[in-house]
Amino acid sequence: MKPLFICIALIAGMLLTCCKPATQQGPSYRVESIALPPGLGGQVGGLDFLPDGRLAACFSSGEVMFYDPRKKTWQLFATGLHDPLGILAEDSSSILVMQRPELTRLKDSDGDGQADLYETVTDDFGISGNYHEFAYGPVKDSKGNLFIALNSSSPNGGVMKTVRGPLNSLTMDHPKQMFSPVPYRGWIMEYTPGGKLLPYASGFRSPNGIGFDPEGNLFATDNQGDWVPTSALYQIQKGKFYGHPASLAWEKGWDKGNPLKLSPAYLDSLRARPAVLFPHGIMANSPTQPLADNTGGKFGPFSGQLFVGEMNQARILRVMPEQIDGQWQGACIPFFDGHGLHKGNNRLAFAPDGSLWVGQNNHGWAGDTGIQRIVFTGTAPMNILRMHLVPKGFVLSFTRPLDRAAADSAAHYQMRHYRYHYSSKYGSAQFDVDTIPVTGIRLSRDRKKVMLTLDSIIPDMVYELTLTGIRSESGIPLSDSLICYTVNRTNPEKNDPDNF
Amino acid sequence: MVCSRMLAVLLAASFLCGKAKAQEIQLKAVAGLHYDKVRFRVSPGTQIKLTLSNTDDMDHNLVITRPGARMKVVKAAEALGAKGPGISFIPTSQDVLWHIPTVRPGETLSVTFTAPRQPGVYPYVCTYPAHGATMYGAMYVTDKPLPALKDDPNIPRGEGGDMHSMHAAVDMPEHPYPMTPPYLYRTFMPDAGPAAIAVHLPHDLSYCWDAGSCSLRYVWSGGFLEHEALWKGKGDAVAGVAGDIFFRAGSSFQFRIGDKDSIPGISFKGYRLVSRYPEFHYRLNNLEIYELITLLKDGSGLRCSFRITGATDTLWLPLPHTGTATVSCSAGQEKNGLLRLLPAEAARFTLTIKKEGHKP
Repeated sequence: MKPLFICIALIAGMLLTCCKPATQQGPSYRVESIALPPGLGGQVGGLDFLPDGRLAACFSSGEVMFYDPRKKTWQLFATGLHDPLGILAEDSSSILVMQRPELTRLKDSDGDGQADLYETVTDDFGISGNYHEFAYGPVKDSKGNLFIALNSSSPNGGVMKTVRGPLNSLTMDHPKQMFSPVPYRGWIMEYTPGGKLLPYASGFRSPNGIGFDPEGNLFATDNQGDWVPTSALYQIQKGKFYGHPASLAWEKGWDKGNPLKLSPAYLDSLRARPAVLFPHGIMANSPTQPLADNTGGKFGPFSGQLFVGEMNQARILRVMPEQIDGQWQGACIPFFDGHGLHKGNNRLAFAPDGSLWVGQNNHGWAGDTGIQRIVFTGTAPMNILRMHLVPKGFVLSFTRPLDRAAADSAAHYQMRHYRYHYSSKYGSAQFDVDTIPVTGIRLSRDRKKVMLTLDSIIPDMVYELTLTGIRSESGIPLSDSLICYTVNRTNPEKNDPDNF
Repeated sequence: MVCSRMLAVLLAASFLCGKAKAQEIQLKAVAGLHYDKVRFRVSPGTQIKLTLSNTDDMDHNLVITRPGARMKVVKAAEALGAKGPGISFIPTSQDVLWHIPTVRPGETLSVTFTAPRQPGVYPYVCTYPAHGATMYGAMYVTDKPLPALKDDPNIPRGEGGDMHSMHAAVDMPEHPYPMTPPYLYRTFMPDAGPAAIAVHLPHDLSYCWDAGSCSLRYVWSGGFLEHEALWKGKGDAVAGVAGDIFFRAGSSFQFRIGDKDSIPGISFKGYRLVSRYPEFHYRLNNLEIYELITLLKDGSGLRCSFRITGATDTLWLPLPHTGTATVSCSAGQEKNGLLRLLPAEAARFTLTIKKEGHKP
């Protein structure tokens, strides 16, 4: 008896030893800070990579600078811009920059390495001098159209005596609400290769971030506030209205008076639903740029998904939108929280080597400044890969096979749901908060997926899931264990899939 | 004398009443993640009514903690995760003495409490995620005088205590290049449209050119810009002119084509840097105009060199202006303050703006 026990103990010990490297694996990502040149404030407005692998960055203090990651050297390209908040590198001598008054092309026409030509691409939109009239973008679609986003104007700021563009006082009676005194504040605009700037979609409050997914679908974020109950990601379609009424003043043929005074129920009927809600204080308070992982695996297992910056917390988010019954919706989850990333994460760009560069900015609000990069170390992370809505619940996919006993325990899944209320008030509390019991758990054959069954799923709700005790078969605990799925529509299929 | 006697009477009256009215403290949540006051003093054991008005554009709260427990409470609030929003980000903790829950923008809430009998420094802080690092202050429970603001370790770093010095650290933008004139900023300027360009030249001359009206607005000598209001916080301000304006264009100072009474269609096309001086390019109807503003050699003023292509009609420019400068043109005819340029003259000409009484 005794020798047998010792033998078992020895084998167990050997097994533990050989498992050890897996449970104590190094981190899957590391965060590095980039040294800025002396004298640079470091409020990052935009990041992009030049075809030659150098970083192009613009800063709120007006500069565009290039950084060579191999030599770790900075070079000045342009100066004097007005709060640039977006950059798109055409090549190393032609850079598009979205500054407050216009979209500008910076050209180095004499080859000395610095821009000497500051060409107006378009300034065919209004500015009133209100401090909140930020301009974001540009991003380019496959047909060569550029998209920019124009912030609404803040009730905490005024309007200058002289404005650019026709002044419309319709929304200027606006207690505590963002307004739109000049065209097209609160709109996303399309700039065509033919040189026309056209209104594209309305209803935005503070859309500090636009971007395409790999299939060419346009997404934009908006910041919590009046008419934005909690920050959100929208899938943008031409001609649609996304919820903040001020912009409607510039809708062609608008004849319904001050849109800020229309009934919330009527406005609610006009608006397209956000694809993914970011519960305030839980996921994000001030989301920024959405960026698709186009690295083909160089940045880890999340190819095709969106990363979204967050200004207010030391975080970026990972978003996995999907279409259910023709409606965009899906889940968001913190990405790799607590590993040295700073606050103020305003801009994102993937380098040719697949590392994710993050530009920080606080612009007078909360946040840090500077540039960091996140590098995938090659060690597979232990994460939720995807959350997919099925008729009676959700299928969670994981990056590694799960420990069966841990995955089978209902106590390891705490589900709540709640909704947010659309109104002119600044932000919304959570309503109809309820704990939802998980009534069934099924593990896929490869143990990389779990189907969670609920008694019912109600549309227009956020389903917030907290996982505890979930680990991989080799014992690695799950990182980032809070995930929120926005259910706009339930899955209309008859049955849950048998094989998943 | 009368005042102090009245005060004595009032004090005596309240003392005799036995129950003094609560001492009222007013705080505001202001832009840039601050309270408007970084400290206040109350007497031990007195009744306090603390009011928080939110003048910012985001939600805030206020928590008074036990002495020394500010960061512990801030960390506990950050650890609330999904539970935070439902409880105003106020953690359950013995270190939380009193609190004002979420105050939305434009709203005001109060809390009434009896100040501790134990003298000490009781921090107050906004425990919204990421706010606690800068948005705090100190409630001094004491009858003794307070330390000088500059030596006070209990208030946010770099704060002078009042709003005027709160953002003093950023009175000039920082740049990674030498600030050698000429250089420019696109920025908000007084007496111009919101698409203004401020250019600083050698000899301490500067001008403001408006990319909305595509015209020169004013010229000044002395310093360049006062940035403090603009670069602090969120930028709800205009830059100040740090010198004396000696030329200010009249409101009609814009080219007209053919008809001297109507403003043509304007389109700003950008600028080219010529030896770092911007040459503005704009379109008026079908005319392409290039305007390069340089210094007169002795620094006595500016020379605006125009190149215009496509002119087939007479060009008009009303020259009325204020200030001490004299304005002259290399071509055309001036009559009653209206400059007339024939198409051939308009192709290339200069406008000189000279500071009156300039001594080189």
